[in-house]
Amino acid sequence: MTLFILADLRRLWAGSLVIVLLIAFATALGVAVTLQERALRLGSARAADKFDLVIGAPGSETQLLLSSVFLQPSPLPLMPGDVLSKLSADPRVSWAAPVGFGDSFSGYPIVGTSSVLAGTLSALTEGQVFSRAGEAVIGAAVKLPLGYEVKPTHGFAELGGETHTELAYRITGRMAPTGTSWDRAILVPIQSVWSLHGMGAHEHEEEEHAQDGAHQGEHTEGAAPGHDDGDDHEHAHIDPTAPLDEAWTAASPGLPAILVKPKTIADAYKLRQDYRGNGTLAVFPGEVLTNLYATLGDAKRVLSAVAIGAQVLVAAAVLLVTVIHIGQRRRQIGALRAFGAPQTAVLLIVWLELFLLVAVGILLGFVIGYGAARILSGLFSGESGVLLPVGFAREDLASALAITLFAAGLALVPALLAYRQSPAAALRA
Amino acid sequence: MLSLDLKNISVSYPGLSAPVLDIPSLSIAAGSRVAVTGASGSGKSTLINIVTGLERVRTGSIRWDKTDIVPLSERSRDRWRGTHVGLVMQDFHLFPGLSAIDNILLPARLSRAVQSGDKDRAMMLLNAVGLSRAEQKIETMSRGEMQRVAIARALLRKPGVLVADEPTASLDSDSGDAVARLLIDLSVSNDSTLIVVSHDPRLTGRLDRCITLVAGRVSSDVLRREKAA
Repeated sequence: MTLFILADLRRLWAGSLVIVLLIAFATALGVAVTLQERALRLGSARAADKFDLVIGAPGSETQLLLSSVFLQPSPLPLMPGDVLSKLSADPRVSWAAPVGFGDSFSGYPIVGTSSVLAGTLSALTEGQVFSRAGEAVIGAAVKLPLGYEVKPTHGFAELGGETHTELAYRITGRMAPTGTSWDRAILVPIQSVWSLHGMGAHEHEEEEHAQDGAHQGEHTEGAAPGHDDGDDHEHAHIDPTAPLDEAWTAASPGLPAILVKPKTIADAYKLRQDYRGNGTLAVFPGEVLTNLYATLGDAKRVLSAVAIGAQVLVAAAVLLVTVIHIGQRRRQIGALRAFGAPQTAVLLIVWLELFLLVAVGILLGFVIGYGAARILSGLFSGESGVLLPVGFAREDLASALAITLFAAGLALVPALLAYRQSPAAALRA
Repeated sequence: MLSLDLKNISVSYPGLSAPVLDIPSLSIAAGSRVAVTGASGSGKSTLINIVTGLERVRTGSIRWDKTDIVPLSERSRDRWRGTHVGLVMQDFHLFPGLSAIDNILLPARLSRAVQSGDKDRAMMLLNAVGLSRAEQKIETMSRGEMQRVAIARALLRKPGVLVADEPTASLDSDSGDAVARLLIDLSVSNDSTLIVVSHDPRLTGRLDRCITLVAGRVSSDVLRREKAA
């Protein structure tokens, strides 16, 4: 019987190939949607996992998350500098690290922070954490050698940002991969960022800025107020060998975000409560992500519906083709019966032949869908640094099984048609 | 060898006033070689279809030796036909993509009735019909060769009766001659009753008995003395 089926498929290879490809692409569509959505969910959750609590100025929680955890260049309002010193002194806080954005180097975001974060985010694979104003630590995905001099560009070069000439950072260390956007970041001391942007620890302009509507546009570039608004600060040369000063005081300049590591989970909840309101906004990244997923979930449902629609269309097309095909093969089927093949053998031949094609198509579809999801994830990771883990889960097995069962049922239709054909009538046709 | 005994057979189709086949009684002795002739539409194919159980009749009896196939279920008729009837058809109904030997073995394989010696018997039959390349794909053969493969296939399971429906009609005269001779010789050497529907005088002329049908009835039934050469 297998011999007969194989000979038959070989003879009808072109049509068989078309059916296999149709089914493969329809399946791949559904598989890719499922895998990609899961990868995005897992990847972003893992990327946010490193950060327990993020505190920023009141505004969009999503924006705060995107900027601080995923390092998306986007407008963030500033909060007063004393928040950092208050947090650092808080007994419930294990460590609190400021983050300041605004500069970049050849597409990599330069993030001003403290040596604490640079040391705890991930172990260093090479070199050491910055200890002077002119030093930097790079993420695993930054393709620069140690010792390289990084000249920060204000904003992004492709957006026409000017290059800062006052200071160049020398790379002193490289972090191990974290699978987060921070793998693409260049971490520098935040004082240097402040100094570069004329926000020395003893200037208080930004507090005025925070209330000054005319300067809102400035704030949209992160922690870079007063950079090119013709204010009174001068682009003085900054000493790259100046020692770090991480004694945060109430007089520290304003900040877009602070990453906080609470000591316990209870502390985390208390801190979040305490820092919601009064000019600050505290969020759990995981919670914000959950809200995002709710939106994402709707999009996924739409995509899944489209994929299922495509699959149903393909199923209908395949059914149509096979029913016509069985009609054309009435004589052959009749002959099989005439020579004594039992009805069950005919049923099995037709069913198996179609089911074989569909099964191969489904299998191929899973392979193509997986490959497509891998490629898409790779593209996304290259751009954002966030690792998207593409993988099958147990529920995929269930859906594969469901599709296969559905296909098995579908293949039964032409098989039953063939089963019911009388051998004599088939021979007359 | 099987003998055939038909009683009260009448086949009619809705919309047709006269029955397409109406045979009150017909007997064919075991081991005889019978030709069935008649104009097209005279009921020849219907006769073949009902005696082989391809088509079902509701009344009368079709007795092959002791077995009446009229009351049998479709499944039983299929099984009975596979075991007892060797069919040779005008259009061969061989399966492209398979070799000669696989075509010969296919019906037995599909019925899960292959026995240990069947492969050797298939080779022997292939030689008997004058072919030697068992692995040759069927679609690369000439029509005469195809019909010879079909004859070998029909004889594989040592059927009690060999039924041929216009076996030479689509062949040139040389091939037709060879096929006619093979049918007769092999039915003799394999102890099969032979029933041939044919217009071909080279074939019908060599058979013992010639039944002529007209409008579904037996109009003449001639017995010849001389045995086939």
